[in-house]
Amino acid sequence: MTGAPISAEAQAGHTVEIRGAVKRYGKTSVLAGVDLDIPAGRFLVLLGPSGSGKTTLARCLAGVERLDGGSIRFGSRLVSDGRHHLPPERRNLAMVFQDYALWPHLTALGNVSYALRRRRLPGEVAQRRAKDALEEVGLAVFANRYPHELSGGQQQRVALARAVVARPGLLLFDEPLSNLDADLRERLRVQIATIARDSEATVVYITHDQSEAFALADDIAVLDNGAVVQIGPPEQIYRQPATLFVARFTGSAGELLGRVLGFETGYATIDVAGRPLRVRCASQVVVGTAMRVLVRPAATRVLAEREVSDTAIPGTVVDVAYRGRGYEHVVACAGGSLAAVFDSTRRPRGSEVSVLLDPDGCVAYSESFDTDIVSITTPKGVEPARARAVPA
Amino acid sequence: MVDTLTGTPPVGWPESRKDRVWLALSRFRGAPLAAFWVLIVVILGLPVLLFLAVAFSPRLFAQGPEWFTLSGFSQAFTGTLLQGVVDSLFVGVMSALAATAVGFAIAWLVIRTDLPGRRVWTGVMFALLLAPSYLVALGWERLLEPSGVLDVAGFHLDGFRSLFYGPFGVIVVLSAKGVPFAFLAISGALRGLGEEFESAVRVHGGGPIAAARILVGLLAPAIWSALAIVFAESVSDFGVAATLANDAHFPVATYTLYNAVQAFPIQFPIAAAVGWILMGFVVLALFAQNRALRTRSYRVLSGRSRPARRLRLSPAARVTGLAAMVLVTVVGIGVPAFGAVSASLINGLGSLITSHGLTLANYGRVLSSASLRDPLVYSSQLAVVTATITVVLAAVSARVLSRRGSGVSARVLDMSLLAAVALPGIVFAAGYIFTFNLPLFSQLGIQLYGTTILLVVGYIATALPATSRVLLGSVSQVQESLAEAGRVHGGGPLAAWRRTVLPVLARPLVAAWVLVFAATLLELPMSQLLYPPGSPTVSVAIEHALMNYDFSGGTAMEVIAVLGALVVVGLAWGVFRLLAPPGWRRLGSVP
Repeated sequence: MTGAPISAEAQAGHTVEIRGAVKRYGKTSVLAGVDLDIPAGRFLVLLGPSGSGKTTLARCLAGVERLDGGSIRFGSRLVSDGRHHLPPERRNLAMVFQDYALWPHLTALGNVSYALRRRRLPGEVAQRRAKDALEEVGLAVFANRYPHELSGGQQQRVALARAVVARPGLLLFDEPLSNLDADLRERLRVQIATIARDSEATVVYITHDQSEAFALADDIAVLDNGAVVQIGPPEQIYRQPATLFVARFTGSAGELLGRVLGFETGYATIDVAGRPLRVRCASQVVVGTAMRVLVRPAATRVLAEREVSDTAIPGTVVDVAYRGRGYEHVVACAGGSLAAVFDSTRRPRGSEVSVLLDPDGCVAYSESFDTDIVSITTPKGVEPARARAVPA
Repeated sequence: MVDTLTGTPPVGWPESRKDRVWLALSRFRGAPLAAFWVLIVVILGLPVLLFLAVAFSPRLFAQGPEWFTLSGFSQAFTGTLLQGVVDSLFVGVMSALAATAVGFAIAWLVIRTDLPGRRVWTGVMFALLLAPSYLVALGWERLLEPSGVLDVAGFHLDGFRSLFYGPFGVIVVLSAKGVPFAFLAISGALRGLGEEFESAVRVHGGGPIAAARILVGLLAPAIWSALAIVFAESVSDFGVAATLANDAHFPVATYTLYNAVQAFPIQFPIAAAVGWILMGFVVLALFAQNRALRTRSYRVLSGRSRPARRLRLSPAARVTGLAAMVLVTVVGIGVPAFGAVSASLINGLGSLITSHGLTLANYGRVLSSASLRDPLVYSSQLAVVTATITVVLAAVSARVLSRRGSGVSARVLDMSLLAAVALPGIVFAAGYIFTFNLPLFSQLGIQLYGTTILLVVGYIATALPATSRVLLGSVSQVQESLAEAGRVHGGGPLAAWRRTVLPVLARPLVAAWVLVFAATLLELPMSQLLYPPGSPTVSVAIEHALMNYDFSGGTAMEVIAVLGALVVVGLAWGVFRLLAPPGWRRLGSVP
């Protein structure tokens, strides 16, 4: 590699403050008052299903969409509110688009060089820096190729190089891996994580894939219907999902129905098909309350034939799938159905099994409200995104 | 926050005075769109609406004593005016049927068979599409008229002449002009129609005829579109009306409208009533198309469609097919071109002199005589200005139409442009004369009538709707993210568009420019009614020369104008190929 590495001259990222962001398309409200703080240099993943408003929020940050209400500030500087709007080119940011948005009339080098124009560097310096960026993503030899002469993964890496080459204060990724196959996705994910963090820019990354979110994020903000329903480090989102929606969206093997037998701090004992199950439950619940227990995939395993447990749930295998390291079973239980129940041995369809559940991988919500453990979300006045995520 | 390589802060950060200006200006985000809309209303909506309103309320515009009357309509349905309406309806229906039948056959031959020269025949269709109808009619006239080329050459086809100088000739020329519309409508549908539908008929016991019937049924939307388009084009046509039909004393509605506007005193209410009737015909055609297709679904395109194989023609079928294609080419292009070129090479054609020799002197006369040369230069200048402004406005229109979330604005613009495409050119021209002659404009100090500016604005208004639709396809295909990426990575609105979108659209923009240039250079209805006194355009000058029996000079001017248009078209593409950066040229080119 020639010249200085990109990270060597990186500048500090933007501190982003979003207050009451509202965006409507006609009568449809896409952002319904989003509040979000992102400290400088953090990697925030916006996670949510299609239509939750995550892409619109990123586009409002980029400045390609205008807010209808609320405000966005980078540091102390207002960049957007209902009446004012700083255009994208004045925001010192960059974006990796879902469809890459590489300009087809420019070579890979031309695409990357474009982003350096705002730096007004001398031609030679800009050229060298663009080449360095391409080298960083392993595409120096393809510098003179046009986008259509590159594979999907290579195109995505050109888009990545274009985004980081000018050392922007904010890097936006709009589902950048969604068009790639699984193997390539994993490799590019690592590359994105490394290069984005090296750039020291603040990063906002959009995805609907929870595994991608958990792998990349310092913090995750889960969006639903245009509002942030929970924000926190990945571990918190996984272990203490604030709502049934968050729990379901971040990975579920299935749900079981039961009633509360007892409660102690953080945990409840639920009667599921006559078996007492110990599960996580943040809020105080009354004995006899109808509960829905969401079970994480990693929390299940089939009880070996010689093992005995009072808390294991009996059920019947209705399907089995080979997964290389073992088998995943779908088990119909009295209180519901569980998928992805792992065992190293294949259990034939129709066989009777007992499923053992890890209490820390099961979260209970009362049937009438799905926000029982809302108390574990951030208390008012605390900015959760500033909390440093503990490496998993 | 300093770039360590240069020691300068990155542009746009931290907050600068420029940013504060941007933030302040961002409050007026609707201003450019509002300005665009004012322009559209002034050049497209107002002239036509005011002109059409005078049919009902002459007093409102000081054109008569009544505040509300239908007398314009009652006069439009009597005498020659009624005859014109009936004739228009008749030639419209006949041309639509003939052109659709021929267009279907050509589309099938070109798309579904191995007929030799398929590219050539497609090229012939585009040449026919671009040839102004009055030039096609004039070419035929030069050959067949008394003392015309065939008479001079010793071929006396009196019977065919009397047949051609009447509804038959008008229908032949309008059908020839309609064939490319039908071809384009049907070939597009045929190209997208997979083989599986015909295969399904064959594997379930149907023969080739049953398969063909299914094919025709599936192409019903395209066939109805072809019928509607050719009918609308034929009843709206002014070129054939002003030449062949007029010379044959066969009145059609567009020419009776023209006569009403040219009469003394000018009869705007009657002209407007005829305008309403012409528009009614177009609406009728679209309504019939809509009604025929309303209850059925013709969604046959899918990602799983298998392209149809080409039918191998037998030697006899191949010869027949080729003969048919040659015939269409001869009728539509060959005869008119031969008529014009041969007439331009004959000495004194149209005059009373008895000896006619072959000569190039007519071309010399056109190039040396100011009265013949000046219109060529004038029209070329107008065409360059019109093409340039129209392409810019059409690109903006296409952008408004294709933009995500532009909502009501896009829908209204879409409907306005569609209506304007269907609107007969002569109605537009009459609307311009009427509106910009209103006392209101002189009271406002706006004296546009009889000026080059009004003629150019009229040209732009004529060309804008179709050009916007032509560009819409290309503009819609450009991912919004290309321009957004340009902005996000540091380009201003214009710079980002110029560097990221313009290269992608360069080819369609050049194509649109070339189309508008060629169409404007030879445009007739707007020119006929709006040319400034003493400065005739080339089409008007050709008409004048022919009216003065200077057939040789008129046709020489015609040939030079067409050749000039072809040279400019070639130059435009040549310049693009030579000067455009390599990346621009790669886009849209076939490897």
